[in-house]
Amino acid sequence: MKVAVCVKHAVDETELKLDQGGRPVLGGAAGKMSTFDKNAVEEALRLKSKHQGEVAVFMVGTADSKKTMKEALAMGADRGVLVSADPAAIDTFRTAEVLAAAIRRSGPYDVVICSEGSSDTYSGQVPPMLGELLGVPYVGYARKIEVSGQSAKIERSLEDSVETVESPLPLAVSVVSEINEPRYPTLIQIMQAGKKPIEELAADAVAPAGGYRQVSVPSMSSQPSTRKHVMIEGTPEEAAAKLVDALVKEGVLK
Amino acid sequence: MKAVWVYSESDAVSNEVASAAVDVAKGAGAEVQVLELGAQRPGVFASGGKLLLKGPPSSPTPGAAAEAIARAARELQPIAILTGATRTGREVASRLAAKLRIGCIAEVSKLGADGESIFGERNVFAGKAVARVSCPFPAAATVKVGAYPRLAGGNGGLQEKDVGAVSDPVKVVAREAKSAGAVDLKSAKVIVSAGRGVKKKEDLAILEELAKEMHGALGCSRPLSADLGWLPEEHHIGLTGVTVKPELYLAVGISGQLQHVAGMKDSKVVASINTDKDAPIFQASDYGVVGDLYQVVPAIRKALAARA
Ligand SMILES: Cc1cc2nc3c(=O)[nH]c(=O)nc-3n(C[C@H](O)[C@H](O)[C@H](O)COP(=O)(O)OP(=O)(O)OC[C@H]3O[C@@H](n4cnc5c(N)ncnc54)[C@H](O)[C@@H]3O)c2cc1C
Ligand SMILES: Nc1ncnc2c1ncn2[C@@H]1O[C@H](COP(=O)(O)O)[C@@H](O)[C@H]1O
Repeated sequence: MKVAVCVKHAVDETELKLDQGGRPVLGGAAGKMSTFDKNAVEEALRLKSKHQGEVAVFMVGTADSKKTMKEALAMGADRGVLVSADPAAIDTFRTAEVLAAAIRRSGPYDVVICSEGSSDTYSGQVPPMLGELLGVPYVGYARKIEVSGQSAKIERSLEDSVETVESPLPLAVSVVSEINEPRYPTLIQIMQAGKKPIEELAADAVAPAGGYRQVSVPSMSSQPSTRKHVMIEGTPEEAAAKLVDALVKEGVLK
Repeated sequence: MKAVWVYSESDAVSNEVASAAVDVAKGAGAEVQVLELGAQRPGVFASGGKLLLKGPPSSPTPGAAAEAIARAARELQPIAILTGATRTGREVASRLAAKLRIGCIAEVSKLGADGESIFGERNVFAGKAVARVSCPFPAAATVKVGAYPRLAGGNGGLQEKDVGAVSDPVKVVAREAKSAGAVDLKSAKVIVSAGRGVKKKEDLAILEELAKEMHGALGCSRPLSADLGWLPEEHHIGLTGVTVKPELYLAVGISGQLQHVAGMKDSKVVASINTDKDAPIFQASDYGVVGDLYQVVPAIRKALAARA
């Protein structure tokens, strides 16, 4: 079975600095593997271990992204395809368009796996767009995937229910974090990852841009926290009494 | 007349999205039409009324819904199509956008428009910053749930459009409700919120009692609902859950990661209890108690009882 997994090198929100005007400083910002993409890679590896075959990692990113590509390879993926474009400068549709073209080029794949949403810009748009552009059935928010023969049985986690669906292969899915516990690569795996092939491509060579008008981000800002930051001291009993008093004084507790 | 379309699988969310659409329509000189698929539902009639698409089943899969709406859109050319940013809504809007090759703005609130574009605001980088996003018409958008009041209704009539039968290779074979969450966190004045500091599911009982004694509701951080399944999804607060603005938000055993704070930062007063004096939740709090929830919570309950 051939599995494609889409992994984003996302801005690390915990390291992100704000400038004096409260705007995020994106130039040179630290990045990391988008949190839930670890679950996507893990699920791809589990499918491979059950059904044999290979796992290829697809990424649209800048040169910095290679670190995350290597991490996915160290987890156990076989090879990578890195299409160069700055994810911050293109929108979800263009990202999906480039991913779809790159996947087509080296496909076909039986299963294409994304996560439900990227940790820096959480939009949940790339996976369904990708399914649509690949022209394959799409199942979002999977918490369990079982493949047998040419079809898959998938549990989808929705807000108020769990839906079980059946779909023929090939298909595209997005996974939620509850689907599995991502593995940590061992030192040996990290060393071996350096030898795995990474194909590098230019976005425009894979899928010529144009023909539609993109989402843009005219400005960004942030609001400083205006909390009181009062730390209440004392034994649990004393602290509890003081807290209750303070909340009554605030008029938020009757 | 130019139209802004609204679609949600949920009547309640559809009415919220209709409110957002009113702001977009105002800016663009358009009218709002609420879409219904397969059969008429109790949703509101907006200024441009309802548009009933015949052909798809009445509870379509997201794939079938997107196909039905795309067929109608190719013919009727709405300037914007808005869905709720629910799991189904995100899929419908994204698939539509891909079918129609149009841009899609995500998770937006404070929507508006001018003659050429739709715009809105959204959280980025786990809520560390707010981005203004914009897309030329025609465009799609997913509207943050809870950001708008429900629209009371307009005076438009019912129109029908036959888009033909649609099907989806993905077949639903079973559906099971998640444990019912009767609480309405959005309207609660007090929210006691539980995090991973709670050691086991049974211990949630003391927080539930505390919430009751404070005339409030029990919420939680994402791991408790999404990963551990201790509470239904609609109890989890934050970027991927609900956004709340109670009078009092009491965070118990929650570390206060950005993604959580994004969902409660507009609360009037925030208090927190955590064993770690360096926990980031204290940066997002008015009152902080460094201590073990298993000691502090019973003490608070005693203090409350003593006042009664
Ligand atoms: C894309 C994305 C979206 C996300 N969306 C959300 C979201 O919407 N909502 C959300 O909540 N999270 C979200 N998360 C997850 C988020 O990053 C954190 O992992 C999560 O909020 C942590 O939950 P927690 O604070 O309960 O657990 P932890 O981070 O494990 O914190 C537990 C806290 O309890 C304290 N503690 C331990 N024992 C005790 C005790 N006896 N008494 C008192 N305190 C104690 C510890 O000191 C610690 O601070 C998202 C993550 C990603 C990547
Ligand atoms: N630049 C990218 N490169 C590879 N995969 C991506 C990229 N952006 C998004 N994805 C995939 O799509 C998922 C959802 O992203 P998003 O639509 O941005 O929330 C991610 O978890 C990835 O699996």
